[in-house]
Amino acid sequence: MTGMEVLVIGGGPAGVSAALEMARGGLNVTLCEQGPRLGGAIHRQPDDPARRLRVPRAQRRRWRTLAEALSMSPVEILCRHMFAGVEGSGAVLLEDRASGRIVTRRPAALVLALGGVERVTPVPGWQLPGVVTVGGLQVMMKSTGRAPEGDILIAGSGPLLLAVAAQLTALGKAPVAVLERSTGPLSLRAVAGLIRAPAYLWEAAGYLSRLIRAGIRLQRGASVRSIAPAGNRLSVTIVDNIGLERRLVVDRVALHDGLLPNGNGTAAAPAGPFTVLAGDCREVLGGVAAIADGRLAGQAVLAKLGLAGSDSAGSAATLQHERRTQSALNTLFDYSGGDAAQLPDDTVICRCEGRTLGQLRALLAADDRVSAREIKLNGRFAMGACQGRFCAEWVAAYVASQRDGQPPQVAEIVGSRWPVKPVSVSAFVERHPSSPSE
Amino acid sequence: MTSAGQTFLFDGMAIPFASNETIAMALDRAGIRTFGSGQGSSAGRYFCGIGACQACIVSVDGTRMEACLTPARKGLQVARIASVLP
Repeated sequence: MTGMEVLVIGGGPAGVSAALEMARGGLNVTLCEQGPRLGGAIHRQPDDPARRLRVPRAQRRRWRTLAEALSMSPVEILCRHMFAGVEGSGAVLLEDRASGRIVTRRPAALVLALGGVERVTPVPGWQLPGVVTVGGLQVMMKSTGRAPEGDILIAGSGPLLLAVAAQLTALGKAPVAVLERSTGPLSLRAVAGLIRAPAYLWEAAGYLSRLIRAGIRLQRGASVRSIAPAGNRLSVTIVDNIGLERRLVVDRVALHDGLLPNGNGTAAAPAGPFTVLAGDCREVLGGVAAIADGRLAGQAVLAKLGLAGSDSAGSAATLQHERRTQSALNTLFDYSGGDAAQLPDDTVICRCEGRTLGQLRALLAADDRVSAREIKLNGRFAMGACQGRFCAEWVAAYVASQRDGQPPQVAEIVGSRWPVKPVSVSAFVERHPSSPSE
Repeated sequence: MTSAGQTFLFDGMAIPFASNETIAMALDRAGIRTFGSGQGSSAGRYFCGIGACQACIVSVDGTRMEACLTPARKGLQVARIASVLP
């Protein structure tokens, strides 16, 4: 043991893998996870071990290997500790949710493995209760081992739509429809890329055969145009590949348009510790790559601190292989959302504060050319509690589509101040026992 | 694990929950989809499930927390958060 302390944020595959690599190299590692259990989104553990959602065997094995190594390692694990940011003096701030207090650490290095966030492109009504992300729907199933109540519509684009539709079907609750926006043909490049990754093809074949057996049709070229309340349910207007509209009344709508790196809080802090990003928050490449990337992040820290790590060639090759597979896979989908010009003015863009597309259009119509910072400070887009995680990328793309010149950068709109997430002021206050005179 | 009579209070109403379950999952199973009045037209509700969107913030024993990340515990006082106008 060198006694040098390092901190890992995020208990998914990238974070656990980085923690193990650094512990093997002789560092004193603390692993922080915001939720009550480790696993991240991909390896989320069930509330009741007897009620476990079935996942592909290779995926289950990967987590078991990591979890067993972790249980035999000296890594200190802190669950329900939220990463609040790196403050001016370089201290890392964590919010301990059990005690409601801020914990301060000054590690020699910091690995951020914050995962990804889902992209969801706005449609009228996407802010209504009952509308969830496809990943959010999957969290419900992985946690409870049950299908959520009610009729479910799945829409957007990406392989996750298929996976979640198949998982719902396996739980006896087939979705009423699965709408895949993309109409793109299978390109030679995509085929060539996927043939190198038979595990993905095998997984997809499993999902598809389950859907086919259940009589569920994947409607390509179809998308959600709008969602409106209908009593306790949701009335969804769907447009198909030839522009015909129809209406479906359901209990839940699950939306998803691909994944984005969770970049909030990853900007370099001038006085902060040596920091490395690992996994989907650095580059969205999925669970296999996250393990390799975590190892590489751990090795980068060990090298920086003058310690020897294991050989990096294998991890780098894995990363390269997964990058090729993901880019082939991505050509099959359309993550751009619908035509923004067709969205009505009252479409909510900022889900936190209900800021609308009409308000964004008015901001852009002003005589003075609005800067990236003004989009947030004057327009209040990315100003709300989620700090732009679900609107900043779309707003940046929309602004870029509306005018010439330098497009606004997402990082510039969002800014890089701590806290990364809302923290109660009381968490910073040391409460002493009150004296009788108070 | 089905719970025998474990409940927390949501705006004064007893909500049953299973061991290790989050507040968000227990509320959903109780048929509650609106977790607060939120801001603008955006009511409090479950959305991303991973603590990123902040849409499911509720008051837990007086402190604002994501319902999707917070384990339910017997006797917790959970409340909808009143509307805040920007």
